[in-house]
Amino acid sequence: MSDKTFDILNKIFVSIIVLIIVYPLIFVISASISDPAAVSTGKMWLWPVDITLDGFKMVFQNKDIWMGYRNTIIYVVVGILVHLVLLLPCAYALSRPEVRWKTGILWFILFTMLFNGGMIPTYLVVKNLGMLDTMWAIVIPGALGAWSVLVARAFFQQNIPNQLVEAAKIDGASDFYIFYKIALPLSVPIIAVMALFHGVGLWNQYFSALIYLSDRNLFPLQLILREILVLNEMSTGEGVQEIAGSAGSFADQVKIAAQIKYAVMIVSTLPLIMVYPFVQRFFVQGVLIGSVKE
Amino acid sequence: MRVTRLLMIIIVFGVFLTACGKAEQQSFEGPTDEELENLNETGMPIVEEQISLEFFAGQAPATNPDWNDVLVFNEYEERTNMDIKWKMVPHDSIAEQRNLALGSGSLPDAFHSAQLGLSDIAKYGEQGVFIPLNDLIDKYAPNFKKILDDHPVIRNAITMPDGNIYSFPLISDPEFASHRIQARPFINKKWLDELGMDMPQTTDEFYQFLTAVKNDLGEVPFGGPYISTLTQYLLGSFGLATRGGSNSYIDEDPETGDIRFYPVSDDYKEMLEYVHKLYDEELIENNIFSIDHHQFITNLGDGKYGSVVWFAPEEVASKENGGNYIGMPTLEGPHGDKLLTKIGDPVQSPGAFVITNENENPASTVRWIDYFYGEEGMELFFMGVEGETFEKADDGSIQFMDHITQSEDGLTFEEEIAKYLTFPGGGFPSMVNEKFFQGVANAPQSLEASDKLEPDMIDDDKIWPTLTYTKEEINQLQGFGTDIEKYVGEMTDKFISGAEPLSKWDAYVAEIENMGLEDYLEIKEAALERQLK
Amino acid sequence: MPLCTGTVQGGEVMATKNAADHALTTSRRQNFKKHFGANWQVYALLMPAITYFIIFNYIPMYGVQIAFKDYIANLGFWGSPFVGFEHFERFFDSYYFWRLLKNTLILSLYELLLFPLPIIFALALHELSYGKFKRWSQTLTYAPHFISVVVVVGMIVAFLDPITGLVNHIIEFFGGTSQNFLTDPNWFRHIFVWSGQWQSLGWGTIIYLAALAGVNPELLEAAKVDGASRLQRIMHINIPAIMPTIVVLFILNMGNFMAIGFQKVLLLQNNLNSETSDIIATFVYETGILEGQYSFSTAVGLFESAINIIVLVSANYLARKVSDNSLW
Repeated sequence: MSDKTFDILNKIFVSIIVLIIVYPLIFVISASISDPAAVSTGKMWLWPVDITLDGFKMVFQNKDIWMGYRNTIIYVVVGILVHLVLLLPCAYALSRPEVRWKTGILWFILFTMLFNGGMIPTYLVVKNLGMLDTMWAIVIPGALGAWSVLVARAFFQQNIPNQLVEAAKIDGASDFYIFYKIALPLSVPIIAVMALFHGVGLWNQYFSALIYLSDRNLFPLQLILREILVLNEMSTGEGVQEIAGSAGSFADQVKIAAQIKYAVMIVSTLPLIMVYPFVQRFFVQGVLIGSVKE
Repeated sequence: MRVTRLLMIIIVFGVFLTACGKAEQQSFEGPTDEELENLNETGMPIVEEQISLEFFAGQAPATNPDWNDVLVFNEYEERTNMDIKWKMVPHDSIAEQRNLALGSGSLPDAFHSAQLGLSDIAKYGEQGVFIPLNDLIDKYAPNFKKILDDHPVIRNAITMPDGNIYSFPLISDPEFASHRIQARPFINKKWLDELGMDMPQTTDEFYQFLTAVKNDLGEVPFGGPYISTLTQYLLGSFGLATRGGSNSYIDEDPETGDIRFYPVSDDYKEMLEYVHKLYDEELIENNIFSIDHHQFITNLGDGKYGSVVWFAPEEVASKENGGNYIGMPTLEGPHGDKLLTKIGDPVQSPGAFVITNENENPASTVRWIDYFYGEEGMELFFMGVEGETFEKADDGSIQFMDHITQSEDGLTFEEEIAKYLTFPGGGFPSMVNEKFFQGVANAPQSLEASDKLEPDMIDDDKIWPTLTYTKEEINQLQGFGTDIEKYVGEMTDKFISGAEPLSKWDAYVAEIENMGLEDYLEIKEAALERQLK
Repeated sequence: MPLCTGTVQGGEVMATKNAADHALTTSRRQNFKKHFGANWQVYALLMPAITYFIIFNYIPMYGVQIAFKDYIANLGFWGSPFVGFEHFERFFDSYYFWRLLKNTLILSLYELLLFPLPIIFALALHELSYGKFKRWSQTLTYAPHFISVVVVVGMIVAFLDPITGLVNHIIEFFGGTSQNFLTDPNWFRHIFVWSGQWQSLGWGTIIYLAALAGVNPELLEAAKVDGASRLQRIMHINIPAIMPTIVVLFILNMGNFMAIGFQKVLLLQNNLNSETSDIIATFVYETGILEGQYSFSTAVGLFESAINIIVLVSANYLARKVSDNSLW
């Protein structure tokens, strides 16, 4: 097979997958501006039907939403920094062959992936460290996981040639220097990926906010959005009776509830999707190992 | 070596961290003299010198997000001279936060709307974390005491196995049938007229109506968000749940008078045969086992169903077509049974309010909460303050003011209400009644439907209260008890859908007996005897 | 450490061995000092993470003991009464235990079978020449990751609805009969696993793309000169280059073998398909978390962890045997 046919076949393959995967995206966007009745009865299946912006109106009516955006951005930025500061040195060190008891250390880290003490003990630690109702309660617990350490370590192992480090050592460079000046610049892709993964995790996180924060001014976006969602979902269950209601106004609320979940999703993920191409650049283009080598 | 040393450090740390979480077991001795000096036994304010209490507040989704500054509790603070610091806990994390509060040693003075279940009440009551209220209710809760005295079934339902009451529940006014019935049957009046049929009175006539809707109109005869609203409604038509709906699956055998696990009875089989026939002949919407709730509501709002068992369509689905539906009476079954038996005791949520052993003013707190079980308090709780949120008409009826019903900010009625009041969303310690509660259950269509059902409602003195269990009983029930109930739930749906043929009935019964039915019934019987004593 | 490998025979040998041992340990100690002196900075780099794990993972681990206790919140973890293996027995004796285990294992295995998909897709994406098409296909395939479970399930239910669903319209158009996919136990696993893949395929490629970015372009250039075709270059350069990443991700995946997102299962579950959709995680949710039985859920969690460890260790062993890569 010539390179040309390969290229064409490959493009077709990718196109098909993109088409399959893009469908839910279009669906969500269409659903967010369609009449909810058309969505739930299957009339809307690709393009919007009976366009209405009530869902978005409901979301942006909430005055806390901008505060939520602000808090979340702060948490994500600080959280990524904390994550990388903990992660990178550790993953690099574990990739070095001279480190002893490696199996022991690896198991020490793996163990945390397999067992955890549960929510209450973790809460008590956070409480005793005086982090309740501060940004740190969101940013620090969960700042590091075994998964990222091991993946980043594999990357360092693979991409930082040992000769390079040894040569630098012979030249009198310290480990700190090598880590900072040689290993990090060579690891831009994995740094970008780890930052992305952790950042996305933080962005979507709401449970720790639910547990550790009671000051509304600290609430992240997801918590505010959840409030809007739950508030509207409420009118669907058997709890319907205990809500006050005047004729018909429930019905409207139920309708909005159906639509609002799509709007909420768009409001919460649009920033992430817009940021992605910028991050993507770091790991798609690759780093020029050759130029650093030697 | 190294590892053990590390372990030591961890353990020491752990002990240190949990040490503060330990509460001593102590028994409640009654209010202190100090408190009683400050307390007025009747009238307002409740206390002479202002006291401050901290309440854990379960925040239902539709309610006001901050009760520290909301009309109803601001007003009540002025009346009582008791300052409540509300710790708001969002709906999603109530269970976790409750456990954190109980486990981390920082107990509030009381849990309000915190959705405590019976087993938690029993457990923490026995531990002494929640204080027993029997004496306090006698002395300081005249309104609540009157309710208990008038309706022994309520007292039974909240009395724990050790004989104590630890909680103030959410109850329906026993007279307010519409709230107690929950989901109720509606029939499409337009189609009924079109078909020239009379209101179905028996299960056979209902079957004929459904068939006519399918064959003559080509429409969907019956729809629902799930199948169980229909089976619940039909229980009494097949002589099932003879002791009401508080305890699913057990009732009294009409022939022997013994306790019975009715899902293995012939009557239950007969009901399943009936419902299976409906499903098999496509008289029930085909996707009822997997339908999306919004799809159901949309269909209902479009008037696409011949009949449903749900809440007033006019209120919950759509004003326009919802009005096509009218209530349907209890159906008479093949053996002449005609009783609406799915009704439970009036206790809707047992643990709406509990007082902890940290509370230094238990008597005042009991007076505080008791108010909401009396006329004045219910008016405040459900309607707010006269002149600010509601008006009294000349005939004595009360209604919300225009600025609430017709919001200037374009808010819905529920959102407007949530600005002033905290009851939306439920789970609160009070009594839902016809006079003050302005909700779906009190809407004209709901009342019309419940009026039709009321004559055939099971008598209150027939209803067995929700059973409460000792620790050992709970342990056993959580094992094989839940398995049995899960099995019944699954098989019921399978028999109805035809995934399992009813010819396998005997195997099904044998399987349940195998799973420990005898022990199951023994536990239920013991609990029942204890509670009805 | 296999310090004494010789067979011990008689007292003399023992004595000499002890002496030798002693000498060995002292020299090891000196050795260590030297080693540490030269490399202390590497160990220092490890410290922040280790400290973090101790504080936020190891200290709370005392919570695990409630699996053997009857946890009562106000008595705390240490004060709650000890019940031994009661919770484990309850789980193992449950009528549904075997069904739960079977369904969980099958679902996990099924998901595992699809493990290569993101790799293949990443390789395909990587081969695209840099440009708009490449960037767009990546961004678009990455986005579904953010669709919430509730909405994904809502879409699945809408598409597969026996009356109004698109899929059944298509089936009927071609003369088939409408299927009730959502209540049919035979369909549950396919629906669950493939909808998951649909949502996460693009997201799953990210790590592999990062690894591919590290492939030395000189190697590719050299292969090209040698006349290797595109496919050959993928097979012999790209895949081996990302093999360590693949292996690590595979093994780590194994460490979460039993973990299946229960929320989606719960939303897709009904009494008619529970034959295949009832898994350990939903069972724990229903009986443990909803009813506040923390001890019981912890016990089941421990059981899952035990299986995870077994799977993880075997996966690592296998990886070392088959390829040269392994986690440790």
